[in-house]
Amino acid sequence: MSDLIFKIKKLDWFYFSLIFFLSFVGFVMIYSATSGMEYNVLFSHSIKIILGLFVMLIVAIIDLEFWKKNAFYLYFIFMVLLIWASFYGHIGKGSRRWINFSGFYIQPSEFMKICIILTLAKFFDEKRIKETRDYFFLILPITLVLIPFGLIVSQPDLGTASMILFISFIIFFISALSWKFFASIGIGFLIIAPYLWNSLKNYQKQRILTLFNPENDPLGSGYHIIQSQIAIGSGGTFGKGWMKGTQSHLDFLPEKHTDFIFSMLGEEFGFFGTISVIGLIVLITYLTYQIVNNSKIDTFQRILGFGIISNFFFAALINMSMVIGILPIVGLPLPLVSYGGSSMLTYFIGFGLILSIKLAVDRKY
Amino acid sequence: MITRDLSYTQKVRRRSLILGGIKSLFTIVVCGKLYYLQILNKSKYGKLSDLNRTKVKILYPERGVIFDKFGIPIASNRLDYQLTIFKEKKELINRYISKLKNIIFFSQRDYQELKKNLSIKDSSDFVILKKNLTWDELEIFELVSSKFPFLFITKEKVRSYENKFIYSHVLGYVGYKNDLKEQKLNNLKFGISGLEKTFDKKLLGTDGWIKLETNSKGRIKKELNKKLAIPGENVKTNLIASMQELSHKLLKGISGAVVVLDCKSGGVNCMVSTPSFDNDEFSNGISNDKWNQLVTDESNPLLNRSISGLYSPGSTYKLITALFAIEKMGFDYSKEFYCPGHVEFGNRKFHCWKKEGHESVNLIDAIKKSCDCYFYNLAKEINIDELAKFSKKFSIGELTGIDIPDENYGLMPNSEWKIKNRNEKWQKGETLNTVIGQGFTLSTPLQITLMTARIASGKKLEPKIFKRNRYFFENLEISEKNLNFIRKSMYKVVNEYQGTAYSSKLNNKLKMAGKTGTSQVRKISKEERESGVLKNEELIYKLRDHSLFTGYAPYDNPKYAITVVAEHMGNGSKVAAPIAKKIMDFALKKYS
Repeated sequence: MSDLIFKIKKLDWFYFSLIFFLSFVGFVMIYSATSGMEYNVLFSHSIKIILGLFVMLIVAIIDLEFWKKNAFYLYFIFMVLLIWASFYGHIGKGSRRWINFSGFYIQPSEFMKICIILTLAKFFDEKRIKETRDYFFLILPITLVLIPFGLIVSQPDLGTASMILFISFIIFFISALSWKFFASIGIGFLIIAPYLWNSLKNYQKQRILTLFNPENDPLGSGYHIIQSQIAIGSGGTFGKGWMKGTQSHLDFLPEKHTDFIFSMLGEEFGFFGTISVIGLIVLITYLTYQIVNNSKIDTFQRILGFGIISNFFFAALINMSMVIGILPIVGLPLPLVSYGGSSMLTYFIGFGLILSIKLAVDRKY
Repeated sequence: MITRDLSYTQKVRRRSLILGGIKSLFTIVVCGKLYYLQILNKSKYGKLSDLNRTKVKILYPERGVIFDKFGIPIASNRLDYQLTIFKEKKELINRYISKLKNIIFFSQRDYQELKKNLSIKDSSDFVILKKNLTWDELEIFELVSSKFPFLFITKEKVRSYENKFIYSHVLGYVGYKNDLKEQKLNNLKFGISGLEKTFDKKLLGTDGWIKLETNSKGRIKKELNKKLAIPGENVKTNLIASMQELSHKLLKGISGAVVVLDCKSGGVNCMVSTPSFDNDEFSNGISNDKWNQLVTDESNPLLNRSISGLYSPGSTYKLITALFAIEKMGFDYSKEFYCPGHVEFGNRKFHCWKKEGHESVNLIDAIKKSCDCYFYNLAKEINIDELAKFSKKFSIGELTGIDIPDENYGLMPNSEWKIKNRNEKWQKGETLNTVIGQGFTLSTPLQITLMTARIASGKKLEPKIFKRNRYFFENLEISEKNLNFIRKSMYKVVNEYQGTAYSSKLNNKLKMAGKTGTSQVRKISKEERESGVLKNEELIYKLRDHSLFTGYAPYDNPKYAITVVAEHMGNGSKVAAPIAKKIMDFALKKYS
């Protein structure tokens, strides 16, 4: 009990409030997206934020050792759920990725991200690979990544799948694998790239091509990018004002409460708003770096921390790049801001783990 | 073990720093792009977002209403429902039309107009797909409208003539101008003929605009800004609706004209020309077939006979001749001539309309009975140039200055005219024909009416359809005594036994004065004279004489001057005079 009180006292409440603030920005934007009218959406989102914050606290308080110990079991449980979702799940947004738990839809692929990060962190902590001859052991982590990746691609949910691949890649990188490894992956990728391109669906190819010249097809796939850029650009320095965005409120902006919420933010709060949110994300990332770097020896903590924060950071920046026209549009929400259940809960769990790392680090001294 | 671990941890740390560097770079790129979009290109994207949501619609002004003398609207406006589409969604038009064809009728003309509207760049963000939607079409479209984003119903007030045909010539009609310089208003209709043309500036009004906010589905969310159109001014006329309707009815089946002038103000109370055309159909856009049919119709329905139809004035002109003789030649009106049925002059025989002759007549009887011989004898003394000059006082061969376009001069011949146009000297015999209103002389029904009105009033009246509140006319500078003589003779024509229009005297204690006329269309040959002149009914229609009557009433206080022309209907007393009587009876009963 005293342990619990100690933990609550020692918890990084500043960090916690930054997370809370970012999710509050999300609430404010969703309020505007619904014009403050769709109470069920607002209510459901508020509940998710409160639940998320609560789950974050629980995760933070649980000893980090618990997660390390059970990483493989968690991976296994969510693997089963993922398989279930991929074959028998509920279809939404054009892919089979949801499981209906008496009215609550959960998306195992989102939770799988955390499980993979945990599992890989545990693997690289225990099996340190320094020599080229150790590469034989890499078969296990690569398999651990490729099986869920394959399943998620088959749903098909290219956004989440590529994010998993990307995060795994970053963890491999952080884990100090030799540059030769990455060089060989790079060469391998170049070799299979043409086949990969051919295996893409037409609309996916179109999205990538549109990126380079959105005006080429202003009413087709370029429409979303153009409208999103117009929304952000027309926001100017300070924006059109909360709930006054014309692009968003007159439905020129697609998916304004999920993937394109950042465009709406840009329209209503301007450069000031977008830079503030980026600043907040950078601050959270920076603080996480500090926390993780304080853990001088524990590789599990480091890999886990960098994995989680990279997942958050890159998801955020890739989402922004998408809506401002730097990257092709793949379904990817803005962490903690976009409306969405499982993905948001995953980020809260992630931040819970980081807070837990902080507690573990603090305890050592 | 520990050292090995430390070096590994350091490696991890180094990698994380590299990753941090990548993240910083990524952040800088994203911020850079945001700076580019939101700071550097703010105005460009701001404009684009405004273009997205705001749509400008031109508000066309409502045309002024035209009223009759007593405030009855004779040209007003109706609400027209139109199918309108966002101009930026042009590419939808063909698909929509093929889908809508079954429930909404698109005529050839609709396609033409749509094509025109699409080719013209105006400041409106909308294009009209189809005008004149019927109620049925409206109702059905309302049911399916959700399947047609960017398509919606707009309303506009457009010209409508409830009494089609009756006012077509005098009011005219409205339509598009093709040589329009200012093409921002490509749906604005202008007056093309008649009063609509003369008073177009007044009736037109000023256009406005409305700025609307629409969403991406083409639904209009709110009005942002607007400048209302200013409706055109109303125009009051001297026309009397009931008289116009009656005249039109009386001319049914007849090609002809009725003109009624107010003898005090010169106001045009009635101006009918038949056959007529449907000016409402013209204003809404007439089909090419219909247009060709009207243009090639031999009875020429598009001609406003009242001001453009040319007729020999016939015996109605005798009033001028008689007045000229007593006013300008000092002719003694009590002088009698014997009428044996014809007069010989030079080596020609000039016939009276009455073959057996009128025996001995003085001037007043000559007018009353319309004796030609009397005037032939008179003509021997008359100088044609002076008569022509005198006739102009009564607007014969002169423009009357009526306030609608396309008025005809008519023709009053003189010696100079003869040389210029026929390259011949004036023949004295031609004066004999001229004094009885045959020969070269041509006049419009309005000119004849104005002549009568000027005789009746003694003033230089000017005929106007537009209702003026103040008017002033100069005197004719003809002695009242002589004018009274002519008036008296006209009184006898209608009200005394043996007067040519006696059968048409009014059923009223108020009396009408007038003069009949027969306008010859053909020359009667010597052989025909000898074998007996063919009766009008025996001739083919086109060769039959026109029936004319002109008059005014009441005799002692002239109020209305009237002329009736009935083409190819024989002599004046038979058709024209009875029509005039009916109109006068009606007018005097109703308005005095």
